[in-house]
Amino acid sequence: MRRAILLFLKIYQKLFTLIGYGSCRYYPTCSEYTKWQFEKNTLGAAFWHSSVRILRCNQLFPGGFDYPVVKMNLKRKELCNSYANQNGFIVKFWLYPLGDDRYYLIKVFKRENIA
Amino acid sequence: MLDKLSTQQRTVLAIALSLIFFIVYDYFMVPKTRPMQETNSTTVATAKSTHTASAAASQPAAPTSASVSAASSQPSKTAAAPVQKESFEIVATVDANEYHAQIDTLGRIVRFEVRIPRFKQEDGTYPNVISNQNPLKPLEIRYADPKLNEEAFKTPFKPDRSELKVEEGGATLMLTQQLSSLNVTKKITFFPNGTYKIAVDMDKDVEYYLSPGFRPDIESDAYTFKGILLREADGHIKTIEDGDMEQEQHFTGVQIAAANDKYYTTNFYDFKNGMDVYVSKDDKNDPLLFVKGLQHYTLNGYIGPKEFDKLAAIDKRMTDVIEYGFFTFISKPLFIFLKYLHNILGNWGWAIVALTLIIRLLLYPLTYKGMVSMNKLKELSPKIKEIQAKYKKDPQKMNAKMMELYKKHGANPMGGCLPMLMQIPIFFAFYRVLLNTIELKHAPWFGWIQDLSVMDPYFVLPVLMGATMFWQQTLTPTNFTDPMQEKIMKFLPVIFTFFFITFPAGLTLYWFTNNLFSVAQQYYVNRIFEKHKAAKEASHG
Repeated sequence: MRRAILLFLKIYQKLFTLIGYGSCRYYPTCSEYTKWQFEKNTLGAAFWHSSVRILRCNQLFPGGFDYPVVKMNLKRKELCNSYANQNGFIVKFWLYPLGDDRYYLIKVFKRENIA
Repeated sequence: MLDKLSTQQRTVLAIALSLIFFIVYDYFMVPKTRPMQETNSTTVATAKSTHTASAAASQPAAPTSASVSAASSQPSKTAAAPVQKESFEIVATVDANEYHAQIDTLGRIVRFEVRIPRFKQEDGTYPNVISNQNPLKPLEIRYADPKLNEEAFKTPFKPDRSELKVEEGGATLMLTQQLSSLNVTKKITFFPNGTYKIAVDMDKDVEYYLSPGFRPDIESDAYTFKGILLREADGHIKTIEDGDMEQEQHFTGVQIAAANDKYYTTNFYDFKNGMDVYVSKDDKNDPLLFVKGLQHYTLNGYIGPKEFDKLAAIDKRMTDVIEYGFFTFISKPLFIFLKYLHNILGNWGWAIVALTLIIRLLLYPLTYKGMVSMNKLKELSPKIKEIQAKYKKDPQKMNAKMMELYKKHGANPMGGCLPMLMQIPIFFAFYRVLLNTIELKHAPWFGWIQDLSVMDPYFVLPVLMGATMFWQQTLTPTNFTDPMQEKIMKFLPVIFTFFFITFPAGLTLYWFTNNLFSVAQQYYVNRIFEKHKAAKEASHG
């Protein structure tokens, strides 16, 4: 399910965005936002937040910066292990803590990868 | 793999893919033959001509709750057989202002011509709603007991008269059948509007089923729905398309049991008590409708075009028989509004233009805001160019920087994803309205557009649509990440023109007027803005 949605989003970004290019009022764009959500959040939450985001993406809202908020417990063992086992990893997302295990999800730009 | 391609390669790929899609789509989806067209127009018009029924009618099996497999397999074996010698005579004809019907010896409606001039077919004949594709006819009775069933199909009904003239208030035909162990009467009351009331009386309680018949087969194309439609007790609509029927299904409390093609329907309805509906199938997996009867049973039915006003006059809920597919919840209100505009303007084409204008006006406050802030940004263009040059290689970062700039100047020129995405369902809903409503069939606009539900024969509207789209683009200030994307944008009107060529003219008209109004609005806003600026400069200087 998750993979199907991500695949759909990938195709959407490659093909369809051409037609409606440059209409999104936000950074990250709605499709990008949805992609991050589905990569890092639970399915239900990703659906909900992405839908709300698209509904907000119109002239009645100011637009601008709007990062996804994800809820995760960083103390969870497997999460720590999976990172600790790799020596020399690539940073894909920064997590900006908001308290209560909630974080802003901020994807790194292309050239900022850490070797 | 996609990541490694350059933007140019991707564009070529995108265009090629979409072209392939349309070629394939056209190849598979556009019907190459028009089946049954000829059968429909054959003349069986005279009252005493015989009607031949195929083998399934002589050996039919009713769907039984007890013997599901037997019920569904029985007709499939026999229906495949060619037409048998056995024939059923027409015993009565029914004439009303708007239709002509024929009843055969089994008390079934075997012909139902809609005699309304605007529904005349291309060859000048009136459409016959009763299909010859399947032996199942409206008001056919099938018994659960095979012996009884066989006897019933060999024993003719006797009518109380052979000609019926339907006036206001209806006309009643009594049909009686004497079987060795059972006496059956069918009392059919026909009304001028295409509805009828059927009352079945038996002197013994036996298990039997009554059918509204096989779906009409007047106009078939691959795009629209053919099959059965049920309105269940809670108002939920259940549809089963031809070829999709797998296992016999049972529904209770059904309010409408309809068999439909694109524009016509034959159905039973009972909003008060609901019906016990069994759906069985033929050898092509097409669904067949049966309603379980009682010893003394009365039902209402309608045969004829799926015209909104006509159906609404019978019962508001009857309009659910018109099927628009997935986007019904948009299509239906859209059509009702369009019909309202048509009543005022008297032309469906102008109604579409008016509808587009109204949608534009409703969205005006939104688009106006966007256009104003777009103009504001024109002044920032050097800064935008700078950002674009600096972050050429990372569009994500460029987007972020751009957003920063917008924020600093309190302007956001983007229209937003919601308005853009909203166009898609509206577009599809509109498409289905044009395709599915009989009112829009042969509906002219003016001049060369004589039918809004089919493509523009001279390609004028698609070309105009592409031209206005291009015009709109030249007016809209854009900022592109790279020149390639700009080129794609320039090509888009051309792609869209080809895209729209086979679409119904009404849809192209909608898109074209939408573009036109958008251009007009843009001009208007630009002028206001320039006046504003001029006034400002004058006061400063």
